[in-house]
Amino acid sequence: MTTATVTDERIARTSTVTKLLKRPEIGALVAAIVIFVFFAATTSVFATAPGASTWLRGASTIGIMAVAVALLMIGGEFDLSAGAMTGFTGLIVGVLTTEYGLNIWAAILVSLALALLVGFINGVLVMKTGLPSFIVTLGTFFVLQGIDLAGTKALIGQVAIQGMSNVPYYDSAKKVFGSAADIGGGLVYASVFWWLAVTAIATWVLLRTRTGNWIFSVGGQQTAARQIGVPVFKTKVGLFMTTAGAGWLVGMLLLFTTSTVQSNTGVGQEFIYIICAVVGGCLMTGGYGSAIGAALGALIYGMVNQGIVYSGWDNNWLKAFLGVMLLGAVLLNEWVRKRAETAR
Amino acid sequence: MKKIKIVGAILAAGTLLAACSGTGSDSGTADTAKKDYTYAVITHGAPGDAFWDRVKSGAEQAGKDYGVKVEYSSDADPAKQSQLIDGAVADKVDGIVVSMANPDGLEASVKKAVAAGVPVITINSGVDKFKDFGAITHIGQTETIAGQAVGEKLKADGSKNAICVIQEAGNVGLEERCKAVAETMGGKVENLQVDGTDDNAVSATITSKLQSETGIDTVVTLGGQYAIDAVSAVKDSGSKAKVATFDLSEDVIKDIQAGTILFAVDQQPYVQGFMGVTGLYLKSINGNDIGGGQPINSGPAFITKENADAVLKFAANGTR
Amino acid sequence: MSDKKTEQATNVAAPAAAGTAVIEVKDIGKRYGNIIALSDVSTSVRAGEVTCVLGDNGAGKSTFIKILAGAHEHSDGDLLIDGQATTLSSPRAALELGIATVYQDLAVVPLMPVWRNFFLGSEITKGFGPFKKLDVDEMKRITKDELAAMGIDLRDVEQPIGTLSGGERQCVAIARAVYFGARVLILDEPTAALGVKQSGVVLKYIAKARDRGLGVVFITHNPHHAYPVGDRFMLLRRGKSMGDFPKAEMTLEELTSMMAGGAELESLAHELEKTMGADSEIAQTMKADVT
Repeated sequence: MTTATVTDERIARTSTVTKLLKRPEIGALVAAIVIFVFFAATTSVFATAPGASTWLRGASTIGIMAVAVALLMIGGEFDLSAGAMTGFTGLIVGVLTTEYGLNIWAAILVSLALALLVGFINGVLVMKTGLPSFIVTLGTFFVLQGIDLAGTKALIGQVAIQGMSNVPYYDSAKKVFGSAADIGGGLVYASVFWWLAVTAIATWVLLRTRTGNWIFSVGGQQTAARQIGVPVFKTKVGLFMTTAGAGWLVGMLLLFTTSTVQSNTGVGQEFIYIICAVVGGCLMTGGYGSAIGAALGALIYGMVNQGIVYSGWDNNWLKAFLGVMLLGAVLLNEWVRKRAETAR
Repeated sequence: MKKIKIVGAILAAGTLLAACSGTGSDSGTADTAKKDYTYAVITHGAPGDAFWDRVKSGAEQAGKDYGVKVEYSSDADPAKQSQLIDGAVADKVDGIVVSMANPDGLEASVKKAVAAGVPVITINSGVDKFKDFGAITHIGQTETIAGQAVGEKLKADGSKNAICVIQEAGNVGLEERCKAVAETMGGKVENLQVDGTDDNAVSATITSKLQSETGIDTVVTLGGQYAIDAVSAVKDSGSKAKVATFDLSEDVIKDIQAGTILFAVDQQPYVQGFMGVTGLYLKSINGNDIGGGQPINSGPAFITKENADAVLKFAANGTR
Repeated sequence: MSDKKTEQATNVAAPAAAGTAVIEVKDIGKRYGNIIALSDVSTSVRAGEVTCVLGDNGAGKSTFIKILAGAHEHSDGDLLIDGQATTLSSPRAALELGIATVYQDLAVVPLMPVWRNFFLGSEITKGFGPFKKLDVDEMKRITKDELAAMGIDLRDVEQPIGTLSGGERQCVAIARAVYFGARVLILDEPTAALGVKQSGVVLKYIAKARDRGLGVVFITHNPHHAYPVGDRFMLLRRGKSMGDFPKAEMTLEELTSMMAGGAELESLAHELEKTMGADSEIAQTMKADVT
């Protein structure tokens, strides 16, 4: 990263390795490699194409949300409604098509619009009231959960969408959101490609655009950002809308991969997204983190989730493992932050 | 770190809120010539769970048919469920239908209700204790009966190595179902824990299991939703395993018709809700004690390729 | 209003001749409800000159800066920028007119790299439409060069700005304002939290900024810091101006004395002389300061 014009003899001393060690996602990368090697060595299926396709599938939808939540966390906010949003958007499409016969693509767009609206409301409420986003989005979480349960029941008389595959043009939407391609003997679902795309775009935005700079600044030091002229309000509302939009995407992926969605879909997942983001190097206090890290966090989650099954262990241990990962990540991040913030 | 503390506090507040809800009280209308009866249906079902949703539908339909008021509430935590029962008694309801997943946890409250002269009928689970607690009867079927029936049917079909997919960690009822399947099926039955709020993960986890243990010949799921996930997992993994499931849904019946699901055992949850309210209604208007001190079975009924067509329209209504 | 703004914004590029008043304040005041935070303050900020605003804690310094920086609108008097009466509605409006403020907390984001902080809110981009991206190399180069021009030699502009010393951070903030074409630089107590040596460094940069033709508003409560670099001194006390003096009319001693409240301090010096003896060091310095 040295510039051609200025050569400083001291720069030579910071080797590539040291530079790499300063990246927020390094902890997650190391953990991911260790976990991969471990399960690849101890189980026969894990490292095969069909095995990999399975844990990638499990990681993909979590990963998309984790990346969006990571952006939001870098921007200094949380979204507890992110999990319920995945169910909410899927249910809207399901209800509108199976019950009211709306064109499937129109329903998908309606669903997106509603998701963005909820994100917008989240953002505006947080910014206008100055309340912690925890409280505000906890409220939206309960509202969405209530709508998911009561609204669906009231409209279609049950709590899970049925008969989705009979809806006209279902196949065209499934191609985009729910199809799978056979790559090297393993089925790779559309959600995996979406996940890669979302991670790549988020990383690019974060590191290479003005918006990315603003996201870091509003999370790192909001007053400073405002003084300098960063549009804090727009940036944060945009982040909430991005998270909601990601919730919509995952809602569609779930709906068209499994052809059904139920009222409790996504409830409780919001914490897994946050865990993945933190494991990937995001600070709880904002201003620091990485989209790739969050994607790696989700990959770790997916690998462990399936690896435990391949190993034949009782997968109730997953939660305990998650807890240990989270604590380890938080301690590591705290140490990094202290080092970064204290004057030399 | 401060923020983490806040989360804890909020979560605690959230659970408290949840605990306080569901005790709406607008009974106690003035005595007219024809009394307006009010019954509380208090279950341990999680909101949004398809099974309990049908129990609720059945209870509400009975209420509508008989012209009585039915108040449904639920909480999976026995402590909070007892509070709901206490609340209903304080509300002077004319009867309580209660599901007892954890009878010990509810003992005090149910006995208190009976002592206060409120007729109680237990449904779904708690068959061993209903008599001790003074309930009129028990309607339903234990998880064990349904599980055993599934096990027998699988055994007849030649299953030797099965996985039993549990969608909610720490749910006593689900664990019992799997245990009962294992008892009667013989052979090997292994429990597989999945995250029921993420269908993608459910499917991936079942796929993993089928990939790593190719000897598995049967996948048993404990909810209609998860049977659909299992079908896609069987397809993805290239396994030859057959799928059997508890509970119905429209999609499950279609898969039964298509042959991708072997059979579904219908616990007939609708019956449990409907009959629970019916029993109380009979007690109120005619002093009847149905069941004669014995439990009444609400099921199970098997749905196979042969009878799937007949059931389909009810499943589409969300009542079966 | 917006027309006027854009018109003035285009003027920003043109440097004012040294000595021209960029900002003039006439009997300006600020009320919050029925509380009068500031009243009857007049002074001017000229290109290539340092206007020092002195006052003790609670004298109204921060209210005064906030008006100039656009954070608060004034409620009385006139704020003339380039001779035109203006009300600054936001910090952005002030920035557009070339008035940049470096706050006490420096408005830096500690966890972000130096170069990102330097260009925050005014990033350089290349490319078009959705593919518009940051020109990272260019920004790093400029940051390094600009800081070098201010005499700060950073090993790596990629390091988080939080790892720099207080004085260095202050200078990054000043260099940033200078680079972005500020005509007027408002510095809010830049030396308050610094040691003697670091303060000296910052004063050097203030002088450098002045020499580049900027008008500098230097807020401080330390006359010893203000006097060496100041061309004009405006003293605030309890929300009121105690006068606005060019350097020619003021000695350091007078300034210190006025700052501390003149007569009050004299009697304190007298008292100390009595209790501690006329030869005691404290009494001596005190006397020297007052007279």
